[in-house]
Amino acid sequence: MSEFNSDNIVDQRPAGGMSRRKLLKMAGLGAASIPFLGSSALAMAKSLKGASINLEILGLAGWPPSAMSTKIGNSMFAPYAQKKLGYKVHFSSAQAPFEQLFQKAATSLATHSAEYNLLISDSQWLGAFATPGWILKLNDIIAKNPDLNIDWYSDIVVDGYMAYPEGTKSIYGLPQEGDVMVMYVRKDMLEDPKEQSAFQKKYNKKLPQTFDEFEALTWGDYKDVMEFFTRPNDNLYGIGLQYAKTYDNFSCYYYPFVFSKGQHIWDPKTRNVQGILNTKENAKSLEEFVALQKYNPPGANEVGIPELADLFTKGKVFSCIQWAAMGPTMIPDSLRGKVMVVPPPAFDVNGEKKRTYTLGGQPWVVNAFNSDEQLAAVVDFLKYWYAKDTQLEFAKRGGNPCVKSVLESEGFDDIQPWFKAYKYMLSNGRTKDFWHDPNYAKLLNVQQEAFTSYAAGNAKDPQKVLDYVAYQQQKILHDAGETKQAPKGSAPSLG
Amino acid sequence: MNAKSTTAVPNAGGRRSFMGSLGRHGFVWGLLAPALIFFCVFNVVPLIWMVGLSFYNYTLTTGNPPMFNGIDNYLSLLSDPSDWSAFSRTFLFMLLTVSLSGLIGSLLGLVFWGSKNLPGRRIALTMLFTPMLLTPASVGVFFKLMLNPNFGVISYIAELFTGHRVDFLSHQMSAQIAVLLVDVWMWAPFMTLITLAALASVPQAELEAARVDRLGWFATLKRVIFPHAKFILMLGLLLRTIDAFKTTDVVLLLTHGGPGASTELLGMRIYRLGFNSLDMGNASTMGVVALLIAIGFTSLYLYVLSLKRVEG
Repeated sequence: MSEFNSDNIVDQRPAGGMSRRKLLKMAGLGAASIPFLGSSALAMAKSLKGASINLEILGLAGWPPSAMSTKIGNSMFAPYAQKKLGYKVHFSSAQAPFEQLFQKAATSLATHSAEYNLLISDSQWLGAFATPGWILKLNDIIAKNPDLNIDWYSDIVVDGYMAYPEGTKSIYGLPQEGDVMVMYVRKDMLEDPKEQSAFQKKYNKKLPQTFDEFEALTWGDYKDVMEFFTRPNDNLYGIGLQYAKTYDNFSCYYYPFVFSKGQHIWDPKTRNVQGILNTKENAKSLEEFVALQKYNPPGANEVGIPELADLFTKGKVFSCIQWAAMGPTMIPDSLRGKVMVVPPPAFDVNGEKKRTYTLGGQPWVVNAFNSDEQLAAVVDFLKYWYAKDTQLEFAKRGGNPCVKSVLESEGFDDIQPWFKAYKYMLSNGRTKDFWHDPNYAKLLNVQQEAFTSYAAGNAKDPQKVLDYVAYQQQKILHDAGETKQAPKGSAPSLG
Repeated sequence: MNAKSTTAVPNAGGRRSFMGSLGRHGFVWGLLAPALIFFCVFNVVPLIWMVGLSFYNYTLTTGNPPMFNGIDNYLSLLSDPSDWSAFSRTFLFMLLTVSLSGLIGSLLGLVFWGSKNLPGRRIALTMLFTPMLLTPASVGVFFKLMLNPNFGVISYIAELFTGHRVDFLSHQMSAQIAVLLVDVWMWAPFMTLITLAALASVPQAELEAARVDRLGWFATLKRVIFPHAKFILMLGLLLRTIDAFKTTDVVLLLTHGGPGASTELLGMRIYRLGFNSLDMGNASTMGVVALLIAIGFTSLYLYVLSLKRVEG
């Protein structure tokens, strides 16, 4: 799909058409902001003098921020490295779609290959990559390179993208791209006086217009807005959500209904699932989430990330909850100025407004089988990447930085239309990650199949669906030796 | 002739015949070697590896080495309803797609056989064979787009008749039918090709004799055409059966096995176990069982070939 051509997207960014002189200027600016001297990486960099190094980054196909790492590597870091560090470096990229990226990375790393020197991973894969020793523990590298000892925007960044096991100080990843769920709404429709008066007449209240008004909305309030804009005869629907079986689409969109209500999907300490996931509250939440399909366009069960972008940009939905990283795709030139990006609705929990959505984004991890030269170049690149000017350039091109000083710098919110909502949702408590576990893929497979069975009407009872998932996941974790508690009872069916 | 010479002669002769034999066989082996090496490296070794892994608990991401667990994987396969469902779905799919593509393909073959002088026949045949020349992955993608309820052309046409957008891939029954029809669309032309080849094998003299004897259409088909064409047709059906049994890529791209697991055929399940969960032990076990079934079909195929030789 054309919307996913990252070249097009990046070219639309302000820096897309930079001249060579400007690129070198940028590289110089980046250099000025990086105090390399005195770190042990200097020793490594010295040893690279005169060397010519190829670095391959494995990233997500069709995911703009992923592609930016190679582009910034070649256009900004390479001239900088040649001028300031005395070696040549060239970046190439290997890509795979979300679903295939894990297998592409894992099958390469399992052979102890240094084919991919730097890998853009999903946050949940840290455990799967770290446990077999495929990726480097970064604590020592960070300790020796103060430029990588960064003050991140929130604890979510550290917990989600960096630490494994969760809550520990063992660092295995650094945030390549921060990402959270935000809501894209059609501002031009909201501002239409005819729509405003029709809504006022029908619901006896005004259509929300501003960021703050949306921030105050609960799902209960938002149902009126979704209902109002659901007009099947005009092929327009109130909201777009993801219910697809592909990868983690359904799970990521169901989890806010669990997390926001203070419920859990497992106990990360005991690694138990039964009795935690399959609660009545979570079953009710599953029912609630699937019930929202009535405000979605037909075919909701097949809607994943790209399909949702298609629906929104082609005007089939008034609003949609989508990843902030999709901003450049969600707001093409034709929709510039017509879209507002706001926090997704809150949940009314005993009279309190709660909002805990699922974390997106990707850390990058360093291949443990890199040669010394490759590792030194990777460390140099990472230090360059997190320099403030590089991060601001990344932001201008549509990427989402996680460095606190960058997010808090003056004018940051205005760089991209989604940055205000991105910062809001990246604040502590508003976003949460799930499962940093080596068995992540197995756990996910089981529930994606079961959840989508329920959404398609093959399984009728949400409680039975959760009982089935909890049993299977408990079995996976028990078989893997992560918990001593065997699954209780006999294997339930999906019903 | 002394003892020395009597023993020396056979030895020398043996050396000569050995060298001669080596020369003769060496040439043959030299010709065979590339194919044999390729076969061993890419077929035999992975096969032995897969059979071995099927007795191990081995998930790539745990970091643990493979652990021998006897026949646990096989017992788990026998007791897992999801695995049984995948098998039953695959057999049902196989039965339906082979029957439908066989029927439609054979009928089209008969039509084209009976219209040899029709203008544009070659172009029509070329167009007809196009679907089977396409890669299944691209077929999966473009049918997914055509069936999309919001943008898809098939859904649009369906709306003209039903008055509403039809969401083919979101519901169990319609998704299963969609996968089946896409497969039939792709492979019915193969059966047309086989049917045309089979009909070409019918001696013209016998057909003319049938015409002279004023044999009816059905009697000609039964007594003259079918006895000659049946082996090629059966081989075609068997090849389709083996192919349908392995169907994975169309399903992966079209429905991803969903909704739920309603279109998850055996190949797709093995793919998910092996490459999504990276559970190499259980994926290998399922692979071994699938292989045994495929061997069963191949034996049937070889049996049909041997029948032809006997009759011939």
